Amino acid sequence: MKIVVFVSQTLDTEARVAVSSSGDSVATDDVKWILNPYDEFAVEEAIQTKEKLGGEVIVVSAGPARGIDAIRQALAMGADSGVHIKDDGFAETDNYTIAKIVASEIKKIDGVDFVLTGMKIIDDESVQVGIQLAEELGLPHVSLVSKVVEVDASKLVCQKEIDGGSVVVEVPLPALITCPDAMNEPRYASLPNIMKAKKKPVNEVTLDDIDFDTLGISRDAVGKSGSKVTTVKIEVPVIDRKLKIIKGSDDTTVKGEEIAQAVQELVQLLRDDAKVL
Amino acid sequence: MSNEIWVIADMKMDGSIRKVSFEALSEAKRSMQSKIGGPLCAVLMGSGVADKAEALGKYGAEKVYVVDNAHLKDFNPDGYVKALSELVAKHQPHIVLAGNTSFTEDYIPRVAARTGSGLAMEAIDMGLTDDNRLTVKRYSHSSKAISEIEFKAGNTMMATIRPNTYKEEESPVSPEVINEQVDISDADIKVKVVNLETKMSDRPELTEAERVVAGGRGLGSEENFKYIYDLADVLSAAAGATRAAVDAGYCPYDMQVGQTGKAVSPTLYFAVAISGAVQHFSGMGTSKVIVSINKDPETPIFAKSDYAICGDLFEVLPVLSEELKKALAE
Ligand SMILES: Cc1cc2nc3c(=O)[nH]c(=O)nc-3n(C[C@H](O)[C@H](O)[C@H](O)COP(=O)(O)OP(=O)(O)OC[C@H]3O[C@@H](n4cnc5c(N)ncnc54)[C@H](O)[C@@H]3O)c2cc1C
Repeated sequence: MKIVVFVSQTLDTEARVAVSSSGDSVATDDVKWILNPYDEFAVEEAIQTKEKLGGEVIVVSAGPARGIDAIRQALAMGADSGVHIKDDGFAETDNYTIAKIVASEIKKIDGVDFVLTGMKIIDDESVQVGIQLAEELGLPHVSLVSKVVEVDASKLVCQKEIDGGSVVVEVPLPALITCPDAMNEPRYASLPNIMKAKKKPVNEVTLDDIDFDTLGISRDAVGKSGSKVTTVKIEVPVIDRKLKIIKGSDDTTVKGEEIAQAVQELVQLLRDDAKVL
Repeated sequence: MSNEIWVIADMKMDGSIRKVSFEALSEAKRSMQSKIGGPLCAVLMGSGVADKAEALGKYGAEKVYVVDNAHLKDFNPDGYVKALSELVAKHQPHIVLAGNTSFTEDYIPRVAARTGSGLAMEAIDMGLTDDNRLTVKRYSHSSKAISEIEFKAGNTMMATIRPNTYKEEESPVSPEVINEQVDISDADIKVKVVNLETKMSDRPELTEAERVVAGGRGLGSEENFKYIYDLADVLSAAAGATRAAVDAGYCPYDMQVGQTGKAVSPTLYFAVAISGAVQHFSGMGTSKVIVSINKDPETPIFAKSDYAICGDLFEVLPVLSEELKKALAE
């Protein structure tokens, strides 16, 4: 089974997020770059599938030079090889174009059976790029797969949560799925595997290798000016809450009679101060 | 490009139209239609849905494009992608809006790719430039930032809207119904449903609810979630949960609020035994009033709350449910 995982490098949003001096992007001076957390679940699912059915796992990523670290992390987890589409312009490129470019590289890989990617990229909060990748590859997709029930050489059966229920679907392979967290438990890369990953082959591709004519877009589509949608401004909202915390007399939990008092105070605040009752 | 604004009618499992579709129609009517000039239209896709056109007229839809096709029954994104893509290619609407739901998140991106449309998802604010290009504000970076997105001219502009962002407002007209034939065959349906389980709940749906009561890991068991449901029922609220609670099996996945789960913007959000991780806050940080109940005086959720009680939920919640019941009866 030939399995492709599309991964992205994102900035770590657990840390502080600040606006850059240009005002239309997030400051990247002191940030940590990580493998998009949702992509870890996709890589794990791919490796488990390979362990079951044999074959190989190829990670594909589009990004600047530092993006190689995300690919290496996937390789350290157990993927076999990588494709790095390297360009500095991708951060400002819309999902539409990225999906087309990534698809064109995946199409160069012979006999792909199964494509996986994270359900969302946490910096851009994009849920669409994976689904658009399926469209550009001409493959059916199932997004937000909570569980792979069965997979063999010709088909995939999986469960997906939907508003108001859940659904089990069957789809012929090749197909693409997008992976939420909690669908599996991504393995940690051991030190020896991190060392081994450095020697695994990564094919570096540049925009010169992309046949834009066939894609029906121009090379200018990469970058801000060519995108159908562009970010013109970023704000970091401040959390502005009332912070009225009712604690017990010892500055910890309310106890005994304090409980009823605290509840009465809260109800009164909700009614008279917040006016939400 | 035509000068039509389209709103996709998103349907629930029971076949009723989601409130967010009316919110989108109302907002398009209020702040876009007069500038763009064309009719406000709705798109109604499904099986046996033709009788829903009137409901859309109530919120200002002057034209309703109807695709009534047996292949659009239940969960069937392939069929919807085909139907909507063909309609967009044929009529070239200026703007296409839809509620952001787990279903539209699944199929609208494909429609945008297929039709070469620009797309911004989960808008919390929208506007138009002087030359009538759409602008959208949306959360990014785990909701720690708000990005303002501007569309280019020359393509249909598509956006999905976070539910509960706009007010729905009636503006009744009798819509012109346009029946569209889209040829969908079995071969078009690649993703086949093997089993569909619907869970009907008497509580309001999470994303639509005015009030939400959510529980976290601190609940400790599925049984104890009764504390959450009791409080929710007193408040006529939807019930929500953190991933930790869902993972532990205390409650079903469709209750999950957060970066993976649903984004909610109720008037009142109760976070019970929830620590307030960035991935959870990302899904409820836009709630108007946040109340937390937590026994840890240092819990990070307190710094993100309007009101809080530091206390044990098992002691506080029953008293709170009673007091609220009284207050609401007054
Ligand atoms: C990629 C990714 C995506 C994620 N997506 C989501 C998501 O969509 N939604 C989500 O919620 N999380 C998500 N998470 C997980 C998130 O990081 C947190 O782990 C999770 O939100 C924690 O849930 P919790 O607050 O219930 O648990 P905890 O952090 O364990 O907090 C439990 C709280 O309960 C309190 N408590 C315990 N007992 C009591 C009691 N008797 N009375 C009162 N208080 C009590 C404790 O003081 C504590 O504050 C995601 C994580 C990742 C990596």
